[in-house]
Amino acid sequence: MLWYKAWLETRSRFLASLATLTLFSAIFVHHAQGLLRPEWKSDFNRLLFINQQFLVIMWVLAVVLLGMGGLIPEKSVGTSSFTLALPVSRARLLGVRVGMGVLEAIVLAVVPWLAVFLVVSLARNRISIIQVVSYILLLVGGGTVYFAMAVLISSLVAGEYAAPAVAYGIVLLTAMLFDAWLVRLTCGDW
Amino acid sequence: MTNDNVIVTQALRKFYGTMEAVRGLHLTVGRNRITAFLGRNGAGKSTTIKMLLGMERPSAGTGTVLGKQITDPEENRELRRRVAYVAEDKPLYGYMTVEQTIRFVRSFYCDWRADIEKRLLQDYELPLHRKVNTLSKGMRTKLSLLLAFARCPELMIVDEPSEGLDPVAIEHLLQALVARSAEGVSVFFSSHQIAEVERVADQVCILEKGRLLVDASMDELRQFYRRIDLVFSSLPPECEFQISGVERIQTSVRQMCVFASSNADAVIQRAHEWNAVSVEVAPVGLREIFLKTVEGN
Repeated sequence: MLWYKAWLETRSRFLASLATLTLFSAIFVHHAQGLLRPEWKSDFNRLLFINQQFLVIMWVLAVVLLGMGGLIPEKSVGTSSFTLALPVSRARLLGVRVGMGVLEAIVLAVVPWLAVFLVVSLARNRISIIQVVSYILLLVGGGTVYFAMAVLISSLVAGEYAAPAVAYGIVLLTAMLFDAWLVRLTCGDW
Repeated sequence: MTNDNVIVTQALRKFYGTMEAVRGLHLTVGRNRITAFLGRNGAGKSTTIKMLLGMERPSAGTGTVLGKQITDPEENRELRRRVAYVAEDKPLYGYMTVEQTIRFVRSFYCDWRADIEKRLLQDYELPLHRKVNTLSKGMRTKLSLLLAFARCPELMIVDEPSEGLDPVAIEHLLQALVARSAEGVSVFFSSHQIAEVERVADQVCILEKGRLLVDASMDELRQFYRRIDLVFSSLPPECEFQISGVERIQTSVRQMCVFASSNADAVIQRAHEWNAVSVEVAPVGLREIFLKTVEGN
């Protein structure tokens, strides 16, 4: 039943994120077909790459939100004593929360790409499955670091809004640092 | 002796920064009794309960609940399986419905009694499909009590159980506590409602500023605590009445009021020695005992 609790706690955030990501991807790929250059018609590599860029941003924002929760936020709303009175170890409480978050994060990566696959297939265009799978793996593999960071922040920072604010601040900071590093790399300074 | 006690603490202490919330608490709670835990706000009652249930780690000292060490996470998890707890603010997950909350809690305990759950749902008139965050304070208290009473624990720890309840519900609650105690469940409850405590408690512990000031049975309190009102033609020095058992002395003009936890006869004898014009001895209620005890500190 701890899984049920974790699901009830995150389902609105998860479903809202899933709907946003899926609709965005499907609509973007569907409408972008008209903007394609003739040389791209054969495959959607470039289009999929652009879609992936947007997805990465939204996915990271979503999983950071999914990583919020646990005993510290519960303490601020006063329900931690109810949770801690249950005959369950703290490690199991954390384990279930992380497990549910990772599962939801995987679904958030897979479903939007399934929607893209469906839209592209319906338009009778070719799509590279290997490319899609590698995007999903990159998204989950790399992006889970942000989820882990969100879980850590949520376990350290008290306050219902303080923890997401700090987590998004760190996401922004890392994105800026990574961007700066990428610019210098492409300019050949490194 | 441990088998006779469900809760034993030794020199239990808890610091929050430099503030000492619980100061070397030596507490014993007997089996199959209703033990009331009284104290002002901030006296350390809830902190003590949280330490007993492993929610807060003691800064020093040790303790056992049902023979399990409170500081050992594994033993504490095992003891929580055998203890029903109703927390002070009746914390429940606002996003769950009443039905979901019951189903959720039920899944953790094999001693759940479906028949009691059904009866209490009817008695308390709890709306199954309403979310907890839309319930009134009284309804939340009733739901918290249902979650505790629908089990067969060895020990019930209830913190302010009558908060938000109407007089009829309070009456039912007190009867239920007594009935559970008669069935062999030990009850440890904290309350500010002294009239309720006086009706049901077998044992009373009074905590003040993290220290245990009184630990006595209700019978002992009734038998030994006395208020002795004395009138003199000329008031004797207070120190003449500072004898063993005297907790507090109040004087005004020619009158002296002595509050004694024992040894009332010695006070009366001393009053006669000082030619008291009037000596009146009265038994004191728990409310007065509580007030005199905490005000005296």
